[in-house]
Amino acid sequence: MREAYKTNNTLQMVDAIKRNDAITLKRIYNNNYPKIETLVLKNNGTKAYAKDIYQEAFLAVWQNVKQDKFIPQSESSINGYLYTIAKNKWMDVLRSQGYKKTIIASQMSYFEIKDEENNGMDDDILKDKRLEDVMHAFKNLGDACKSLLRKFYFEKKSMKSIAKELQLDSASTRNKKYRCMKKLKDIALSNN
Amino acid sequence: MDLNNITQEEFERIEAYLNNLLSKEDLLIFENRLQNEKGFATKVEDIKTVLTGIEAQALKEQLDRFHEELSTNDKDTIPFSPKVKSFQLRKIAVAAALIIAAGSFWFLNRNSNEQLYADFYAPDPGLPTTMSSTDNYEFYEAMVSYKQGHYKDALKTWTNELKTEIDNDTLNYFVGSALLADKKESEAISYLENVAKQDHSIFKSDAFYYLGLAYLKNNNKEKAKEYLQKSDFTKAKDLLKKLN
Repeated sequence: MREAYKTNNTLQMVDAIKRNDAITLKRIYNNNYPKIETLVLKNNGTKAYAKDIYQEAFLAVWQNVKQDKFIPQSESSINGYLYTIAKNKWMDVLRSQGYKKTIIASQMSYFEIKDEENNGMDDDILKDKRLEDVMHAFKNLGDACKSLLRKFYFEKKSMKSIAKELQLDSASTRNKKYRCMKKLKDIALSNN
Repeated sequence: MDLNNITQEEFERIEAYLNNLLSKEDLLIFENRLQNEKGFATKVEDIKTVLTGIEAQALKEQLDRFHEELSTNDKDTIPFSPKVKSFQLRKIAVAAALIIAAGSFWFLNRNSNEQLYADFYAPDPGLPTTMSSTDNYEFYEAMVSYKQGHYKDALKTWTNELKTEIDNDTLNYFVGSALLADKKESEAISYLENVAKQDHSIFKSDAFYYLGLAYLKNNNKEKAKEYLQKSDFTKAKDLLKKLN
Protein backbone atom coordinates (compact mmCIF):
# COMPACT_ATOMS: atom_id res chain seq x y z
CA MET A 1 0.00 0.00 0.00
CA ARG A 2 2.65 2.39 1.11
CA GLU A 3 4.81 1.69 -1.92
CA ALA A 4 1.89 2.14 -4.27
CA TYR A 5 1.06 5.43 -2.64
CA LYS A 6 4.62 6.59 -2.95
CA THR A 7 4.87 5.64 -6.61
CA ASN A 8 1.66 7.41 -7.31
CA ASN A 9 2.97 10.48 -5.57
CA THR A 10 6.15 10.45 -7.61
CA LEU A 11 4.18 10.09 -10.81
CA GLN A 12 2.13 13.09 -9.82
CA MET A 13 5.27 15.05 -9.17
CA VAL A 14 6.77 14.15 -12.55
CA ASP A 15 3.52 15.10 -14.17
CA ALA A 16 3.50 18.40 -12.28
CA ILE A 17 7.03 19.16 -13.47
CA LYS A 18 6.06 18.45 -17.05
CA ARG A 19 3.09 20.77 -16.68
CA ASN A 20 5.37 23.46 -15.19
CA ASP A 21 3.23 23.51 -12.09
CA ALA A 22 4.44 26.58 -10.22
CA ILE A 23 3.96 25.19 -6.72
CA THR A 24 5.98 22.06 -7.43
CA LEU A 25 8.73 23.91 -9.28
CA LYS A 26 8.96 26.48 -6.52
CA ARG A 27 9.17 23.86 -3.81
CA ILE A 28 11.99 22.03 -5.59
CA TYR A 29 13.74 25.31 -6.36
CA ASN A 30 13.55 26.68 -2.83
CA ASN A 31 14.42 23.45 -1.09
CA ASN A 32 17.61 22.90 -3.04
CA TYR A 33 19.07 26.35 -3.49
CA PRO A 34 20.61 26.76 -0.01
CA LYS A 35 22.74 23.63 -0.40
CA ILE A 36 24.09 24.74 -3.73
CA GLU A 37 24.74 28.25 -2.53
CA THR A 38 26.77 26.81 0.35
CA LEU A 39 28.69 24.61 -2.06
CA VAL A 40 29.60 27.48 -4.38
CA LEU A 41 30.38 29.92 -1.59
CA LYS A 42 32.65 27.42 0.11
CA ASN A 43 34.50 26.86 -3.13
CA ASN A 44 35.63 30.25 -4.29
CA GLY A 45 32.28 31.39 -5.66
CA THR A 46 29.87 34.23 -5.09
CA LYS A 47 26.11 34.37 -4.63
CA ALA A 48 25.68 35.56 -8.22
CA TYR A 49 27.61 32.54 -9.48
CA ALA A 50 25.59 30.29 -7.22
CA LYS A 51 22.35 31.57 -8.71
CA ASP A 52 23.52 31.16 -12.32
CA ILE A 53 24.91 27.69 -11.81
CA TYR A 54 21.85 26.61 -9.92
CA GLN A 55 19.41 27.87 -12.52
CA GLU A 56 21.35 26.22 -15.32
CA ALA A 57 21.30 22.96 -13.42
CA PHE A 58 17.59 23.38 -12.71
CA LEU A 59 16.84 23.87 -16.41
CA ALA A 60 18.88 20.80 -17.29
CA VAL A 61 17.04 18.66 -14.74
CA TRP A 62 13.69 19.98 -15.88
CA GLN A 63 14.54 19.24 -19.48
CA ASN A 64 15.71 15.71 -18.73
CA VAL A 65 12.58 15.00 -16.71
CA LYS A 66 10.42 16.33 -19.52
CA GLN A 67 12.14 14.12 -22.06
CA ASP A 68 12.09 11.09 -19.75
CA LYS A 69 15.86 10.95 -19.86
CA PHE A 70 15.81 11.10 -16.11
CA ILE A 71 13.00 9.28 -14.35
CA PRO A 72 13.06 10.20 -10.68
CA GLN A 73 12.13 7.57 -8.12
CA SER A 74 11.24 10.17 -5.51
CA GLU A 75 11.59 13.83 -4.80
CA SER A 76 14.85 13.21 -3.01
CA SER A 77 16.32 11.59 -6.11
CA ILE A 78 15.51 14.81 -7.98
CA ASN A 79 17.24 16.77 -5.25
CA GLY A 80 20.33 14.60 -5.48
CA TYR A 81 20.41 14.79 -9.26
CA LEU A 82 20.07 18.56 -9.15
CA TYR A 83 22.91 18.81 -6.67
CA THR A 84 25.20 16.59 -8.74
CA ILE A 85 24.61 18.57 -11.91
CA ALA A 86 25.12 21.89 -10.16
CA LYS A 87 28.30 20.57 -8.59
CA ASN A 88 29.64 19.35 -11.94
CA LYS A 89 28.80 22.67 -13.53
CA TRP A 90 30.56 24.55 -10.80
CA MET A 91 33.61 22.36 -11.22
CA ASP A 92 33.57 23.10 -14.94
CA VAL A 93 33.65 26.80 -14.10
CA LEU A 94 36.51 26.28 -11.68
CA ARG A 95 38.45 24.35 -14.31
CA SER A 96 37.82 26.93 -16.99
CA GLN A 97 40.61 29.28 -18.01
CA GLY A 98 39.39 32.43 -16.36
CA TYR A 99 39.10 30.70 -13.07
CA LYS A 100 42.20 28.55 -13.08
CA LYS A 101 44.43 31.55 -12.69
CA THR A 102 42.95 32.39 -9.35
CA ILE A 103 42.97 28.94 -7.85
CA ILE A 104 45.94 27.07 -6.57
CA ALA A 105 46.62 23.61 -7.90
CA SER A 106 46.28 21.91 -4.55
CA GLN A 107 42.71 23.04 -4.27
CA MET A 108 41.85 21.70 -7.68
CA SER A 109 42.66 18.09 -6.89
CA TYR A 110 40.00 18.25 -4.25
CA PHE A 111 37.34 18.53 -6.90
CA GLU A 112 38.15 15.48 -8.99
CA ILE A 113 34.98 13.73 -9.96
CA LYS A 114 34.38 10.12 -10.64
CA ASP A 115 33.53 8.98 -14.13
CA GLU A 116 30.20 7.49 -13.22
CA GLU A 117 28.92 10.87 -12.16
CA ASN A 118 29.55 12.23 -15.60
CA ASN A 119 26.71 10.57 -17.38
CA GLY A 120 26.99 13.00 -20.24
CA MET A 121 23.34 13.90 -20.37
CA ASP A 122 23.31 16.58 -17.77
CA ASP A 123 23.54 19.78 -19.67
CA ASP A 124 22.92 19.37 -23.36
CA ILE A 125 20.03 21.81 -23.19
CA LEU A 126 22.02 25.01 -22.98
CA LYS A 127 24.71 24.04 -25.40
CA ASP A 128 22.40 24.29 -28.38
CA LYS A 129 23.13 27.59 -30.08
CA ARG A 130 19.77 27.73 -31.87
CA LEU A 131 17.92 27.13 -28.67
CA GLU A 132 19.89 29.89 -27.06
CA ASP A 133 18.87 32.23 -29.89
CA VAL A 134 15.21 31.39 -29.38
CA MET A 135 15.49 31.91 -25.64
CA HIS A 136 17.14 35.24 -26.16
CA ALA A 137 14.53 36.27 -28.70
CA PHE A 138 11.70 35.30 -26.41
CA LYS A 139 13.26 37.35 -23.67
CA ASN A 140 13.13 40.41 -25.91
CA LEU A 141 9.75 39.78 -27.45
CA GLY A 142 7.06 42.43 -26.91
CA ASP A 143 4.83 41.98 -23.89
CA ALA A 144 1.64 41.07 -25.72
CA CYS A 145 3.18 38.27 -27.75
CA LYS A 146 5.28 37.12 -24.87
CA SER A 147 2.33 36.76 -22.59
CA LEU A 148 0.32 34.95 -25.25
CA LEU A 149 3.05 32.45 -26.09
CA ARG A 150 3.76 31.94 -22.42
CA LYS A 151 0.16 30.98 -21.80
CA PHE A 152 0.26 28.44 -24.60
CA TYR A 153 3.64 26.87 -24.14
CA PHE A 154 4.61 27.36 -20.53
CA GLU A 155 1.34 27.50 -18.66
CA LYS A 156 -0.09 25.04 -21.19
CA LYS A 157 -3.51 26.60 -21.11
CA SER A 158 -6.09 25.45 -23.62
CA MET A 159 -6.89 27.40 -26.75
CA LYS A 160 -10.41 27.83 -25.42
CA SER A 161 -9.40 29.44 -22.14
CA ILE A 162 -6.81 31.70 -23.77
CA ALA A 163 -9.32 32.86 -26.37
CA LYS A 164 -11.73 33.61 -23.59
CA GLU A 165 -9.12 35.64 -21.69
CA LEU A 166 -8.36 37.65 -24.80
CA GLN A 167 -12.04 37.98 -25.63
CA LEU A 168 -11.39 36.68 -29.11
CA ASP A 169 -12.73 33.77 -31.07
CA SER A 170 -10.49 30.78 -31.45
CA ALA A 171 -9.61 31.47 -35.11
CA SER A 172 -8.30 34.94 -34.29
CA THR A 173 -6.39 33.61 -31.30
CA ARG A 174 -4.71 30.98 -33.45
CA ASN A 175 -3.80 33.58 -36.01
CA LYS A 176 -2.41 35.82 -33.31
CA LYS A 177 -0.31 33.00 -32.00
CA TYR A 178 1.03 32.31 -35.48
CA ARG A 179 1.97 35.94 -35.98
CA CYS A 180 3.69 36.03 -32.59
CA MET A 181 5.71 32.98 -33.59
CA LYS A 182 6.81 34.74 -36.75
CA LYS A 183 7.82 37.79 -34.78
CA LEU A 184 9.79 35.66 -32.38
CA LYS A 185 11.56 33.95 -35.23
CA ASP A 186 12.42 37.25 -36.85
CA ILE A 187 14.15 38.40 -33.67
CA ALA A 188 15.95 35.08 -33.34
CA LEU A 189 17.21 35.32 -36.93
CA SER A 190 18.37 38.92 -36.56
CA ASN A 191 20.67 37.77 -33.79
CA ASN A 192 22.76 35.80 -36.21
CA MET B 1 15.60 28.36 -39.08
CA ASP B 2 13.06 29.69 -41.47
CA LEU B 3 9.47 30.03 -40.49
CA ASN B 4 8.60 32.47 -43.26
CA ASN B 5 7.78 29.80 -45.74
CA ILE B 6 5.58 27.96 -43.29
CA THR B 7 1.90 28.75 -43.47
CA GLN B 8 -0.23 28.95 -40.39
CA GLU B 9 -1.87 25.67 -41.32
CA GLU B 10 1.45 23.93 -41.74
CA PHE B 11 2.73 25.37 -38.49
CA GLU B 12 -0.31 24.13 -36.64
CA ARG B 13 -0.01 20.69 -38.14
CA ILE B 14 3.63 20.41 -37.07
CA GLU B 15 2.71 21.63 -33.63
CA ALA B 16 -0.06 19.06 -33.38
CA TYR B 17 2.43 16.39 -34.42
CA LEU B 18 4.91 17.45 -31.74
CA ASN B 19 2.18 17.35 -29.12
CA ASN B 20 0.95 13.93 -30.27
CA LEU B 21 -2.39 15.35 -31.30
CA LEU B 22 -2.61 14.15 -34.91
CA SER B 23 -5.25 11.64 -35.89
CA LYS B 24 -4.09 8.24 -37.10
CA GLU B 25 -4.49 9.04 -40.79
CA ASP B 26 -2.90 12.48 -40.47
CA LEU B 27 -0.01 10.93 -38.59
CA LEU B 28 0.63 8.48 -41.41
CA ILE B 29 0.65 11.26 -43.99
CA PHE B 30 2.89 13.34 -41.77
CA GLU B 31 5.41 10.55 -41.21
CA ASN B 32 5.47 9.91 -44.92
CA ARG B 33 6.35 13.55 -45.53
CA LEU B 34 9.05 13.38 -42.85
CA GLN B 35 10.71 10.57 -44.76
CA ASN B 36 10.25 11.75 -48.31
CA GLU B 37 9.96 15.50 -48.43
CA LYS B 38 13.29 17.20 -48.56
CA GLY B 39 13.87 19.70 -45.76
CA PHE B 40 10.66 18.84 -43.96
CA ALA B 41 12.35 17.06 -41.08
CA THR B 42 14.58 20.10 -40.49
CA LYS B 43 11.52 22.30 -40.46
CA VAL B 44 9.94 20.12 -37.80
CA GLU B 45 13.14 20.13 -35.76
CA ASP B 46 13.26 23.92 -35.97
CA ILE B 47 9.77 24.31 -34.65
CA LYS B 48 10.52 21.88 -31.89
CA THR B 49 13.51 24.01 -30.93
CA VAL B 50 11.39 27.16 -30.96
CA LEU B 51 8.77 25.59 -28.69
CA THR B 52 11.41 24.28 -26.31
CA GLY B 53 13.15 27.66 -26.31
CA ILE B 54 9.97 29.51 -25.38
CA GLU B 55 9.27 27.10 -22.57
CA ALA B 56 12.85 27.17 -21.30
CA GLN B 57 13.04 30.96 -21.30
CA ALA B 58 9.65 31.26 -19.62
CA LEU B 59 10.88 28.88 -16.95
CA LYS B 60 14.07 30.83 -16.53
CA GLU B 61 12.10 34.01 -15.90
CA GLN B 62 9.91 32.12 -13.47
CA LEU B 63 13.01 30.92 -11.63
CA ASP B 64 14.18 34.51 -11.33
CA ARG B 65 10.92 35.36 -9.61
CA PHE B 66 11.34 32.41 -7.23
CA HIS B 67 14.82 33.64 -6.55
CA GLU B 68 13.74 37.16 -5.76
CA GLU B 69 11.22 35.89 -3.24
CA LEU B 70 13.84 33.57 -1.85
CA SER B 71 16.24 36.40 -1.14
CA THR B 72 13.56 38.64 0.33
CA ASN B 73 12.40 35.85 2.62
CA ASP B 74 16.05 35.19 3.28
CA LYS B 75 16.49 31.50 2.83
CA ASP B 76 13.06 30.55 4.08
CA THR B 77 12.38 27.20 2.56
CA ILE B 78 8.88 25.92 2.15
CA PRO B 79 8.41 23.21 4.71
CA PHE B 80 6.43 20.16 3.70
CA SER B 81 3.21 20.18 5.61
CA PRO B 82 4.05 17.13 7.76
CA LYS B 83 7.20 18.88 8.91
CA VAL B 84 5.31 21.83 10.32
CA LYS B 85 4.05 19.77 13.19
CA SER B 86 7.39 18.30 14.09
CA PHE B 87 8.91 21.74 13.88
CA GLN B 88 6.45 22.96 16.46
CA LEU B 89 7.23 19.92 18.54
CA ARG B 90 10.90 20.66 18.27
CA LYS B 91 10.29 24.21 19.47
CA ILE B 92 8.41 22.88 22.45
CA ALA B 93 11.15 20.34 23.04
CA VAL B 94 13.79 23.06 22.96
CA ALA B 95 11.77 25.19 25.37
CA ALA B 96 11.27 22.24 27.65
CA ALA B 97 14.96 21.39 27.48
CA LEU B 98 15.82 24.95 28.45
CA ILE B 99 13.49 24.89 31.42
CA ILE B 100 14.83 21.54 32.56
CA ALA B 101 18.38 22.72 32.02
CA ALA B 102 17.77 25.87 34.07
CA GLY B 103 15.99 23.92 36.75
CA SER B 104 18.62 21.28 37.04
CA PHE B 105 21.57 23.63 36.96
CA TRP B 106 21.77 23.66 40.69
CA PHE B 107 21.42 19.91 40.86
CA LEU B 108 24.05 19.26 38.21
CA ASN B 109 26.56 21.35 40.07
CA ARG B 110 26.48 18.86 42.87
CA ASN B 111 26.69 15.72 40.80
CA SER B 112 30.31 15.05 40.08
CA ASN B 113 29.91 12.49 37.29
CA GLU B 114 27.49 14.73 35.49
CA GLN B 115 29.81 17.63 36.03
CA LEU B 116 32.81 15.81 34.65
CA TYR B 117 30.81 14.67 31.68
CA ALA B 118 29.72 18.22 30.98
CA ASP B 119 33.31 19.42 31.28
CA PHE B 120 34.70 16.84 28.92
CA TYR B 121 31.94 16.12 26.49
CA ALA B 122 31.90 17.96 23.19
CA PRO B 123 30.14 16.39 20.21
CA ASP B 124 32.39 14.89 17.56
CA PRO B 125 32.93 17.69 15.02
CA GLY B 126 31.89 15.42 12.14
CA LEU B 127 33.46 14.86 8.76
CA PRO B 128 34.21 17.68 6.32
CA THR B 129 31.36 18.05 3.87
CA THR B 130 32.94 20.25 1.24
CA MET B 131 32.66 18.57 -2.13
CA SER B 132 33.62 15.21 -0.73
CA SER B 133 32.53 12.02 -2.41
CA THR B 134 29.06 13.00 -3.41
CA ASP B 135 28.29 9.55 -4.70
CA ASN B 136 26.97 9.29 -1.18
CA TYR B 137 25.29 12.66 -0.89
CA GLU B 138 22.63 11.41 1.49
CA PHE B 139 25.27 10.54 4.03
CA TYR B 140 26.88 13.96 3.69
CA GLU B 141 23.59 15.75 3.70
CA ALA B 142 22.90 14.10 7.04
CA MET B 143 26.40 15.15 8.10
CA VAL B 144 25.42 18.75 7.44
CA SER B 145 22.32 18.31 9.62
CA TYR B 146 24.47 16.75 12.31
CA LYS B 147 26.88 19.66 12.28
CA GLN B 148 24.00 22.08 12.54
CA GLY B 149 22.81 20.25 15.63
CA HIS B 150 19.83 18.65 13.92
CA TYR B 151 20.71 15.27 15.35
CA LYS B 152 17.32 13.69 14.82
CA ASP B 153 17.36 14.54 11.11
CA ALA B 154 20.83 13.08 10.74
CA LEU B 155 19.82 9.97 12.65
CA LYS B 156 16.87 9.37 10.39
CA THR B 157 19.14 9.08 7.34
CA TRP B 158 21.97 7.24 9.00
CA THR B 159 19.95 4.60 10.82
CA ASN B 160 18.22 3.93 7.54
CA GLU B 161 21.54 3.47 5.75
CA LEU B 162 22.73 1.30 8.59
CA LYS B 163 20.02 -1.22 7.79
CA THR B 164 21.90 -2.29 4.70
CA GLU B 165 25.37 -1.77 6.10
CA ILE B 166 25.15 -3.16 9.59
CA ASP B 167 28.90 -3.28 10.18
CA ASN B 168 29.90 0.00 8.60
CA ASP B 169 32.10 1.62 11.23
CA THR B 170 31.61 5.18 9.98
CA LEU B 171 27.83 4.86 10.16
CA ASN B 172 27.92 3.15 13.55
CA TYR B 173 30.24 5.78 14.87
CA PHE B 174 28.17 8.74 13.73
CA VAL B 175 24.87 7.21 14.75
CA GLY B 176 26.46 6.74 18.17
CA SER B 177 27.79 10.30 18.15
CA ALA B 178 24.45 11.76 17.15
CA LEU B 179 22.60 9.79 19.83
CA LEU B 180 25.12 10.92 22.41
CA ALA B 181 24.75 14.52 21.29
CA ASP B 182 21.01 14.02 21.48
CA LYS B 183 21.43 12.91 25.12
CA LYS B 184 20.58 9.30 24.49
CA GLU B 185 23.66 7.81 26.10
CA SER B 186 22.29 4.34 26.65
CA GLU B 187 21.26 3.98 23.03
CA ALA B 188 24.56 5.43 21.84
CA ILE B 189 26.58 2.83 23.72
CA SER B 190 25.60 -0.16 21.57
CA TYR B 191 26.54 1.63 18.34
CA LEU B 192 29.84 2.84 19.70
CA GLU B 193 30.63 -0.65 20.93
CA ASN B 194 30.11 -1.91 17.39
CA VAL B 195 32.89 0.43 16.34
CA ALA B 196 35.16 -0.40 19.27
CA LYS B 197 34.99 -4.06 18.29
CA GLN B 198 36.49 -3.34 14.90
CA ASP B 199 40.24 -3.42 15.22
CA HIS B 200 41.01 -1.54 12.05
CA SER B 201 38.50 1.24 12.35
CA ILE B 202 39.94 4.74 12.24
CA PHE B 203 37.23 5.70 14.70
CA LYS B 204 38.33 3.20 17.30
CA SER B 205 40.09 5.61 19.63
CA ASP B 206 37.25 8.12 19.34
CA ALA B 207 34.76 5.34 20.06
CA PHE B 208 36.64 4.33 23.22
CA TYR B 209 36.69 7.89 24.45
CA TYR B 210 33.01 8.53 23.83
CA LEU B 211 32.08 5.15 25.32
CA GLY B 212 33.95 6.21 28.44
CA LEU B 213 31.94 9.41 28.53
CA ALA B 214 28.64 7.65 27.87
CA TYR B 215 29.19 5.22 30.73
CA LEU B 216 30.24 8.08 32.97
CA LYS B 217 27.00 9.86 32.18
CA ASN B 218 25.18 6.66 33.13
CA ASN B 219 27.05 6.64 36.44
CA ASN B 220 28.92 3.46 35.55
CA LYS B 221 32.36 4.57 36.65
CA GLU B 222 34.05 1.18 36.26
CA LYS B 223 33.03 0.71 32.64
CA ALA B 224 33.91 4.32 31.96
CA LYS B 225 37.43 3.83 33.25
CA GLU B 226 37.83 0.59 31.31
CA TYR B 227 37.09 2.33 28.02
CA LEU B 228 38.99 5.51 28.75
CA GLN B 229 42.11 3.45 29.38
CA LYS B 230 41.87 2.01 25.89
CA SER B 231 41.73 5.39 24.17
CA ASP B 232 45.02 7.10 23.32
CA PHE B 233 43.54 10.59 23.52
CA THR B 234 45.15 12.92 26.04
CA LYS B 235 41.74 14.15 27.09
CA ALA B 236 40.87 10.52 27.87
CA LYS B 237 43.88 10.33 30.14
CA ASP B 238 43.03 13.65 31.79
CA LEU B 239 39.54 12.47 32.52
CA LEU B 240 40.86 9.18 33.84
CA LYS B 241 43.07 11.06 36.29
CA LYS B 242 40.07 12.93 37.64
CA LEU B 243 38.12 9.73 38.05
CA ASN B 244 40.84 8.01 40.03
